[in-house]
Amino acid sequence: MSAAAAELRTVALLSRRALNEIVRVPGAAIPGVLAPTIFMLGLTAAFGNLILLPGFGTDDYMSFLVPVSMMQGAGFSGAATGVNLARDIEQGWFDRLLASPASRRSLLAGLVVSASLRALLPASFVFCVGLAFGVTWPGLLGLAIAIPVVMLTAAVASCWGAMIALRFKSQSAAPLMQSAMFMLVLFTPSYAPQELLTGWLQDVARYNPLSQTLEAIRQGFIGDVSWAETWPGLLAVAALAAVLSVFALRGMQRMAD
Amino acid sequence: MAAPILIFPSLFLALNTGGAGRAIDLPGFPAVDGFLDFQIAAALMQSTMMGGLTGGIALAMDIETGFSDRLMLSPISRFSMVLGRLAGAIVLGMLSGIYFLAVALIFGASIQSGVLGALLIIAMAGLSAAAFGGVAAALAIRTGRVSSTQGVFPLVFVLIFFSTAFFPENLLLEPAQTIAAWNPFSFIVDGVRNPVISEMSAGPIGEGLLATFGVMAFGIALSALALRSRLRSGG
Amino acid sequence: MAAIEVRGLERHFKGGIKAVDGIDFDVSEGEIYAFLGPNGAGKTTTVRMLTTLLRPSGGSAHVAGFDVVSEAAAVRKAIGVALQEAALDPLMTGRELIRLQATLHGISSRRGAELGDALLGRVGIDYAADRRVGTYSGGMARRLDLALALVHEPSVLFLDEPTTGLDPVSRKAIWEEVRNLNDEGTTVLLTTQYLEEADQLAERVGIIDAGIMVAEGTPAALKAEVGHPHLELRLAGDGAVRAEEILRAFGQTRAPTNGSICVEVASGAAGVAPVVRALDDAGFEVESLELRLPSLDDVFVEKTGHSLEPAADPASEAAEQLQDTPGNPA
Repeated sequence: MSAAAAELRTVALLSRRALNEIVRVPGAAIPGVLAPTIFMLGLTAAFGNLILLPGFGTDDYMSFLVPVSMMQGAGFSGAATGVNLARDIEQGWFDRLLASPASRRSLLAGLVVSASLRALLPASFVFCVGLAFGVTWPGLLGLAIAIPVVMLTAAVASCWGAMIALRFKSQSAAPLMQSAMFMLVLFTPSYAPQELLTGWLQDVARYNPLSQTLEAIRQGFIGDVSWAETWPGLLAVAALAAVLSVFALRGMQRMAD
Repeated sequence: MAAPILIFPSLFLALNTGGAGRAIDLPGFPAVDGFLDFQIAAALMQSTMMGGLTGGIALAMDIETGFSDRLMLSPISRFSMVLGRLAGAIVLGMLSGIYFLAVALIFGASIQSGVLGALLIIAMAGLSAAAFGGVAAALAIRTGRVSSTQGVFPLVFVLIFFSTAFFPENLLLEPAQTIAAWNPFSFIVDGVRNPVISEMSAGPIGEGLLATFGVMAFGIALSALALRSRLRSGG
Repeated sequence: MAAIEVRGLERHFKGGIKAVDGIDFDVSEGEIYAFLGPNGAGKTTTVRMLTTLLRPSGGSAHVAGFDVVSEAAAVRKAIGVALQEAALDPLMTGRELIRLQATLHGISSRRGAELGDALLGRVGIDYAADRRVGTYSGGMARRLDLALALVHEPSVLFLDEPTTGLDPVSRKAIWEEVRNLNDEGTTVLLTTQYLEEADQLAERVGIIDAGIMVAEGTPAALKAEVGHPHLELRLAGDGAVRAEEILRAFGQTRAPTNGSICVEVASGAAGVAPVVRALDDAGFEVESLELRLPSLDDVFVEKTGHSLEPAADPASEAAEQLQDTPGNPA
């Protein structure tokens, strides 16, 4: 088997193994799916009338929120793979992988791929729930952009989770993984458009790269799909994933220190 | 432990204020200095609710690991085990009250009812913590399992969202508006909110206290029943 | 060329802890070598350095001819590793795990399946191959761990405490398997706290305490170095003191305690009969006797001053006392 084929097969098997957690354990997927759904429904119920504000740009708050929930689901999925890595380190499974000839990048790739696939579960669930409540159909183009961007968001969360796991080597660092992603996703034009945010959030959201990513996913749900709206968000999330993966790989090499 | 009780509600407070702050411009929004003034009560009640639930989870863990069996063997009254926890919850609730009042003042909100209002808020925070703690304790004693007690978290969030915690009742979307009208949590939050955004008035505060004591009585009664059935069945 | 070559290996941790403080040893190709030592002696740390999981703080090590630091990737290809915790994913089946391990080593799926099935049969868990590992017993898990370490036919096998916590039957099964592997030419480095394991399995033993090697050699040579067989006797009636005087003629004795006397018998079993005859002639009745051979624990005590086994073994205590009495050539 050629080296490249071997690496791909390693990534495939490791991803499949990581997905066992939600496939082979009944009910394990539920928290990750329930949380963003409750958040979407609850926030709409409470803040739905914000659309009455002049300049909001839409009369459907849930359509405005669905992309946020999809990203939240992605963030949670990625963080969960980080927690699993911490558990694998604690229990010695990761040593097995490190002592094998498998490249470090294939080990990380297995984690990241599983997170990206896993994120599709909450994303499709909130999407279907949204549709049931009358959310705008984003169109095939909108979906074609939203899905990979959501998966890349999960990749970002997964690399972040891996970094934390490799640094602290303990599952007790889980809150750090989850809350960082929670904040990253919500410190954006999540509740309202950029212009209508107030105070500190307006500044933070302006500089948060994931704000662009949110807007990219939001296309189709609110307004039309265009390349100008797409590329900044795509670039932001891809660049973030690339940078964090470098740190995660370095963290793997540092395990021997 | 500080995370769900202080950090998470604080985060939410900051987020809600930053994200939905313009809501005060909406027609029909009650007169307030700022959205923060409106939100403080929500953050505080979220905190005491979380505190109560955390206490319940700790109790469930004791029961699950058998630690409470050891306590039950000691000569102290069995029920005082629960009461002890409630006393702790009251203190924690009051501390949360002080914390969120401080946060409010630091970030520019004002307590319209002055010092007296602030003291009332702290007292109500303690009481609400006892109320929520009582219900959580009942759940813990009844199920004896951490996972079941923890499983109530999503319900708690639904309860908070479908109340007047984050938004005034008249501006909620249906069916939240109807649910909030009957939700005891709405009354409790409105009671705590009243001294912040206006001069103290007997109506909202009275209703809030009534709802708080109601929940507390409910929780204590349920705890007593659950304790009795647990002891009868041998733990 | 040595399969494992270690020179001055050191490993320090934060806070000034010297887990491994300068170790030198060689393991020849095809040899079974055992590290014997108590918890915290540095055995696992050494193994982790040799399997590239931990970077040495000082010194050097070569495994299968490759440097563990600069040629780590090559080392990983050549070694099989079964670490202290049989780190297995409870949600996977045995078969899936061995396929995964084969893939990690770049073995094609078809070949991996062949090798995997063969190995599962060899270690005797093929009947459970399609059950989730979470349902395996401790012994089964260890055997799977061993199979996983062998899937790529490594030249050097590292086993860190391979039978800790196992029942005697599983332990014997693992020993059997290790011997078979060794017969096929695999070099084995194992760590253990069990004297019997080192004694039974290893061609050579390295005794480790507090991060340094205190003794090295074949089990027989080590034991001969520090101790001689001794006889522990219990006599009926009084007169233990007089009996001891008689026994002094045969070798070093120990003053009677708890009603038992000890005498050293350099010739081992052959020396038992004369002793018993002498006592018999003197009118003593021997109630019980036991011939105690020196153990590796005796070696350990000799070199480190404390025992390897947590519960003090009366035999080793007696031996200790014999050695402590003046005039004993230690």
